[in-house]
Amino acid sequence: MGKIEAKNIVKYFQHDGKPLKAIGGVNLTVDDGEFVCIVGPSGCGKSTFLRILAGLEKPDEGEILLDGKKLVNTGPDRIMVFQEGALFPWLTVEDNVEYGLKVAGIPETKRHDISKRYLDMMQLSQFANSYTYQLSTGMKQRVAIARALVMDPDVLLMDEPFAALDSQTRDLLLVEMQMIWQKTKKTIIFVTHNVPEAAVLGSRVAVFSHRPSVVKKSLDIDYKRPRVAEDENLGKFEKQILAALRHQGPK
Amino acid sequence: MKTNLLGKKIAFYVLIIIVWQGIDSAEIWPDNIFPSPIEVGEDLLYGISDGSLFYGIGTSMWRLVIGLSIAIGGGMLLGIFMARVETVNQTIGSLVLGLQSIPSVAWVPLAILWFGLSDSGIIFVTAIGAIFAVTINTYTGVKNIDPSFIEAARNMGAKGGQLVTTILIPAAFPYMISGFKQGWAFAWRGVIGAELLFSFLGLGFLLNVGRQLNDVSQVIAMMLVIMGIGILIDGFVFKKLEDKVMTKWGLR
Repeated sequence: MGKIEAKNIVKYFQHDGKPLKAIGGVNLTVDDGEFVCIVGPSGCGKSTFLRILAGLEKPDEGEILLDGKKLVNTGPDRIMVFQEGALFPWLTVEDNVEYGLKVAGIPETKRHDISKRYLDMMQLSQFANSYTYQLSTGMKQRVAIARALVMDPDVLLMDEPFAALDSQTRDLLLVEMQMIWQKTKKTIIFVTHNVPEAAVLGSRVAVFSHRPSVVKKSLDIDYKRPRVAEDENLGKFEKQILAALRHQGPK
Repeated sequence: MKTNLLGKKIAFYVLIIIVWQGIDSAEIWPDNIFPSPIEVGEDLLYGISDGSLFYGIGTSMWRLVIGLSIAIGGGMLLGIFMARVETVNQTIGSLVLGLQSIPSVAWVPLAILWFGLSDSGIIFVTAIGAIFAVTINTYTGVKNIDPSFIEAARNMGAKGGQLVTTILIPAAFPYMISGFKQGWAFAWRGVIGAELLFSFLGLGFLLNVGRQLNDVSQVIAMMLVIMGIGILIDGFVFKKLEDKVMTKWGLR
């Protein structure tokens, strides 16, 4: 199961020595198996919010519940895919993917079986023994996604993972991401500043306001999959997202 | 290019020997002050044939390896603690910087008082001369780890000791290698210096024996051996290790 609830999350930043309210009471419930994209103006704290969900930062107020249970620390039930991948350069692709399994004490043969499945899924098999510096940015993000999936988390948290990719690679990964979601039925929360990306991926898009941020609007994207970025029918959803974003001037 | 470089080097050293021999033939200084390269070579051959040279090298290397191992182990531990626990850095950290400025031979009197004229005393001087270079480089390395590596590892369930062995050490390893390299250089100076002053076996001792016997060619022969070992270890052990790590980590 993977129903995750954020209740009244508040977070302050230190800005010139003074506390600045960055997140101003975010409430968000993501049901098991839902694919939710979070968009918002830059600096609205959407990445910080994701890190709070991951347990990598503590909120100043509010709480996170996973299937009704309050979460305190970070852990493999919610795996984060970082913007730059955060792959370990001293490990091969295969060892990177198996890292979490090894830490969990899973024996080697079983680790290989699991990692092989996800390396195949992400079309990385032929790069299993490569080091990360030998890979393109797109390949690195595939490894990062595979590394997250092997942990079989309840929730997958993705922090602008495609932001640094060229548009061709990104389009490809947008389609693959939808297939992964349909295949694994994971709960996914995906932060992006790219509106078309949100419209392609999300079953729902949560629009954050300017800081102190709250969930300004929640838009269902009710459209068949797999979606592709150039599909003109997605245009109306993109317009809705943009309107919700624009609806608010800077404070 | 590579053969060209090698050629240059060989030509340079041959030139040095020729000039050296030339100065000696000019008989500006007496032989007991300025020996010829042939005399130095004979001394080396003599040391090889009676085995005393190998015994000296073996003794010094053995002390070096033990001392450096202690320095690497202790320095890594201390460096990691300093980087991860702010209080340790604020207290022990300042002391480490101070101790780093003490030349290793300055520890010799203390080592003699504490350990007597023994291997332990020399190993102590070797280790303490090297440990702080390892500590400081480890500290810098751990401090410079991309925070997302640590976060990703914690997120995947790594804790405590696992985090140290699977993330902190490998992620900081390129820096640590520099620390080992510096540490080795300090340890080598330390072990030779200590042997000189302890006068208790080893290459430093042989160097000192040369002085006591007024045997200048033995002094120079031992200095050449000390330099040669330095070049070998630098070039074959540390440079190779560094190249390998830098390539694997994608840093070059």
